Amino acid sequence: MLLTTTAISVDAAHAAAAAAPRMDPLHHFQVVKYIQMAPFGLDVSISNSVVWMWISLAAVFFFFRYAFRRPEMVPGRMQSVAEAGYLFIRGIVDENIGPSGKPFFPMVFTLFFFVLFCNWTGLIPGSFTATSQLIVTATLALGIFFLSIFLGFYKHGLKFLGFFVPSGLPVLLLPLMVPIEIISFLARPVSLSVRLFANMTAGHTVLGVLFFFAATLPWIGSWLPFGFSVVFTAVEIFIGFIQAYIFTILTCVYINDSLHLHH
Amino acid sequence: MISSAHAATEAHAQSSGLPQFDSSVFGSQIFWTIVSFLVLMYLLKRYVIPAIGDILDNRSKKIGDDLQHAEKARQDADRLLVAYREQMERARQMAAATLEEARLEASAMRDQALTELGEELAKKRAAALDEIERARVQAMEDVQAAAVDIAMLATEKLIAKSVNRAKAEEMVKDAVSHLEQNKASLH
Repeated sequence: MLLTTTAISVDAAHAAAAAAPRMDPLHHFQVVKYIQMAPFGLDVSISNSVVWMWISLAAVFFFFRYAFRRPEMVPGRMQSVAEAGYLFIRGIVDENIGPSGKPFFPMVFTLFFFVLFCNWTGLIPGSFTATSQLIVTATLALGIFFLSIFLGFYKHGLKFLGFFVPSGLPVLLLPLMVPIEIISFLARPVSLSVRLFANMTAGHTVLGVLFFFAATLPWIGSWLPFGFSVVFTAVEIFIGFIQAYIFTILTCVYINDSLHLHH
Repeated sequence: MISSAHAATEAHAQSSGLPQFDSSVFGSQIFWTIVSFLVLMYLLKRYVIPAIGDILDNRSKKIGDDLQHAEKARQDADRLLVAYREQMERARQMAAATLEEARLEASAMRDQALTELGEELAKKRAAALDEIERARVQAMEDVQAAAVDIAMLATEKLIAKSVNRAKAEEMVKDAVSHLEQNKASLH
């Protein structure tokens, strides 16, 4: 008697679960290939991730072109914003690399606005956040990582290996410290890419959950998650900026470490 | 029913790992991330960064120039102010000197005028005194002559023949000397 009721109730619960709207906050991280292409074995398929990367890229470029369509000595609003962005990045480069960082300015500038606009366009409902893809952030981070290694050897030759030998340490400690230094160096691209990807993923997941509740709860309860989702969108805009900033600063720090060995 | 529901749940569980770890989409994203980044970097480097850098350089140059001009203008103004003050000081000194000169001149003129006036007054006084003296002497003589005439006439009429000329003159002299003695009371 008891057994049958339980079985029926479980049965009913499963039926209800199958019928109810399914919460899947990770759904919008799903990469969908619109056009599959692989000439010469190279996968160059165009997916939603790539399309939104291009939209972000175009937004960066046209924002600056629009802001500087008629550059004035006394800047208007848009020009002021664009100049502030330029000076912001120049400040980061000057502060973290110094005068020898000048050649890297265009790269750092591009990196910051690329990441920033990918973070921000991802907040448009129905869009896709390219920087929530680990492979995208890892590509950028590995690019920076290999650039810093190349710069180190290019500038200092084999002396760059001294980077892993902290100065002023007793020789006895070296067998311990050198592996630690190497591991921490190798961890750089991992932490750089995972930080950005995880922040974007977590933020959008939370937003997804909030929107799901706002859409599925009866009206008496839905205003609460909806209100939270509004507030959290503002927080996400801030996080998008902060993560782009951190990504850029760390890039500068890594480049600086390779240019100026000070250990 | 139960088993099919379980199967659906399991399928869902399998598919709900993070989509980011689905390696089938890695290749294209690596490729396009690199290409997109390089394209954006080229575009910004070619069209955006120099434009912003130029305008910022121009502005800082203009501000520097303006500051220089302002500094120059300030120095000019300072110089003008100093010159103006000097001029003012000189004018004030000149005015003071002129005033002092005028004061001295005026006092000299006044002194001279006073002296001249005193001299003239003294001269006039002396002349007046002379005139008075002369008039007095004249008057005395006239009076004397008249008295003589009167005395002679009177004597002639009163004592006709009893008094001769010598007697009469003696008597007149007496009278005149009497007059002389009483001169003070005549004045």
